[in-house]
Formats: sequence, structure tokens, C-alpha cells
Amino acid sequence: MKDYLISMFVDNELNLDEKIEFVETVHKNKPFKDETVELLDQEKLLQSSMVTAMPEVRTPVYRTEKTGLFRLMFTPIAGFATAMTLVAAFFLLRPAPVISPGELQHRFVIYNPDVSKTEIVGDFTRWNPVPLEKVGDSGYWSVTLKLEAGEYRYSYLIDNNRQIADPTVLTHEQDDFGGKNSIIKVTTAI
Amino acid sequence: MNTFRKFYTENKERLFGYLLRKTGNYHLAADIMQESFTRYLERYKDRDQSPALLFTISRNLLYDHARKNRYDASYEEEQHGSELDQENAYSIKEEYKRVLRAIQQLDDEAQDILALAVSSGLSYREIADMTGNSEANIKVKIHRSRVKLKKILQQDQL
Repeated sequence: MKDYLISMFVDNELNLDEKIEFVETVHKNKPFKDETVELLDQEKLLQSSMVTAMPEVRTPVYRTEKTGLFRLMFTPIAGFATAMTLVAAFFLLRPAPVISPGELQHRFVIYNPDVSKTEIVGDFTRWNPVPLEKVGDSGYWSVTLKLEAGEYRYSYLIDNNRQIADPTVLTHEQDDFGGKNSIIKVTTAI
Repeated sequence: MNTFRKFYTENKERLFGYLLRKTGNYHLAADIMQESFTRYLERYKDRDQSPALLFTISRNLLYDHARKNRYDASYEEEQHGSELDQENAYSIKEEYKRVLRAIQQLDDEAQDILALAVSSGLSYREIADMTGNSEANIKVKIHRSRVKLKKILQQDQL
């Protein structure tokens, strides 16, 4: 008897012929069926996460050789960018129109005049980069995304190599990569 | 870079799951996970992302660790016996300690193969390649490991 079909069943490795064989054996052979159920029960234990919390990992993804210099150059710009983005936010960020119940539009804006590419990555994009578009020659970049109400984490990716939190959002947290994510709560527009 | 981030997010829990089952030790698993991602990133970040490669790096790090500590077995035993057990006590849920202990009683190969089958999300084909088995062989070995574990768990309850 091909006992190992049970493990192949547990691990989703059966092809169609083997599935037929497996089902017929389960049907005809009680010990085989019992063994399958016992091993499935054991598998529930085996596959549980088992831990109270995942360990923290610091992976130096965003640290490059140039980081120190970049940071130095970047600091005054960041301050300026923050101020400008706040001004921009005042003018540009109007309450987003409601699309359908539960679904909202959120406009992300950042001032970044001297870069050639700005993207946003967040849990709402499953951490895939989504490009922002230039707003004329103003130095602003923006994108409007449809989001459901809820809490989101994101950051901006500049020229493929620099990750920054949103300077207009005060709440942020350290991610596992030595970078920072902004945290926003999107709620129904008033 | 962000593709790496996605790769990391998708594989972090799997890799940790594998290492925890293989070692039974929360902190050792965490250290080796950290080192595995760091090495992967340093050496292979420009290649197509491959979970199999990540797991291979981890397995090699585990073997290095085991080899280094073989010379110092008494020290290791002491560590396992006292401090690490205490640290594990906080990090591993009570109902699973029995399962982790049972896995540690399997022989090395069975432990490794079972931990890969249960946690890695890799296919039998990939596990066979990684462990130097044929695909026909790995089916049987994975199943035998599960059955052995079942026996250990049953004896444990008697």
C-alpha cells in the first residue's frame, strides 16, 4: 500500500491519478483512513505558528555606502519639504469624495523637486511600488488611491534607492529594514 | 529593493517556522533567520528571488553552527538545559513545546525533511533537490518522518 499518498495529500502534492487512488483507498481501507485523519490532526499542531511573537529582524536593506552623505544632504531638504508639503496639503488635500460605502479616495502628495522618480509602497499596495505623477513643474508628486477605511502603513521610495516616511504624517514606526513607515488612518470623509 | 521587501515578507514566517522546528530553539532560530536574510541580500540580491536558495543558505548556516558546537558539546548541553529553555519558555506557546520536543527526538535527516515539508512552502521537487534525494525518495521519507513523529507523540502521552 502506498502509505506516502497520505503525506502527499497533506502537502497538496497529488496528481489526478494519485487523487483517484487516494480517495479509493480511503474509501476501502479503514486503517488508511484513520491514519490520514490522525496525521491531519498532527499537521494542525505542526503547522501552527507556535510562538507568542515573531522575533524582530534587522536586515540592512536600505543602508548603502552613501547613506551618511545622503542623510546630511537630505536633512535641510527634508525640513523644507515638510514645510512645503504642509502648505501644499492645505491647498491640495480636500476631503476625498466617497466612491462607494466603505471605499474612499486618498490623495498622497509629496514635495520632491529634484528627483526623477517617486513611488509609494505600503500595505495597501502589498509593498509593490506604485508610481506618483508629477504635478506640472511644481515639484509636487501625487497619486490618488482607492482605500477602504482603516489603518495603513506606507513610505515613499525615491529614485529606486531611498525610502522615506511621509514628512506630513506625524505617526510612524520603524520597520524591519531600518527604515520608517508612516501610519495613517483613513476614515469616511465628512 | 522593494521586491526584496516583498520576498522578505512572504518568506519570513516560513523560514522562521522551518528553523524553529529544526532547532527547537527560538533564539537560535531568530539568529539564523537574521543571518540568512543578511547573506542572501549581500550576495544574491540581484538574482531572481528564490525561496529555495534562501532555505539552502539557512541550512548551511545551521550545519556550520552544529559543527562549531560539536567541539563544545558540554557547553551546548548546559546552555540548552538552562538559559535557552527559560528563554524559550516565554516565546513558545505552551501547547506546542511538546511537539517541538518530539521533533527534536527524530534523527537529523527526518527532522530536516519534516521541518521543510511542514513550513517552507517548497514543493517536493525543491525539497528533493535541496536535500540530495530523488523525488520518488522524498515522498517516502517525508511520510516516514510524519509517522515516526506520531509514534513519539503517542509514547509521550502514555
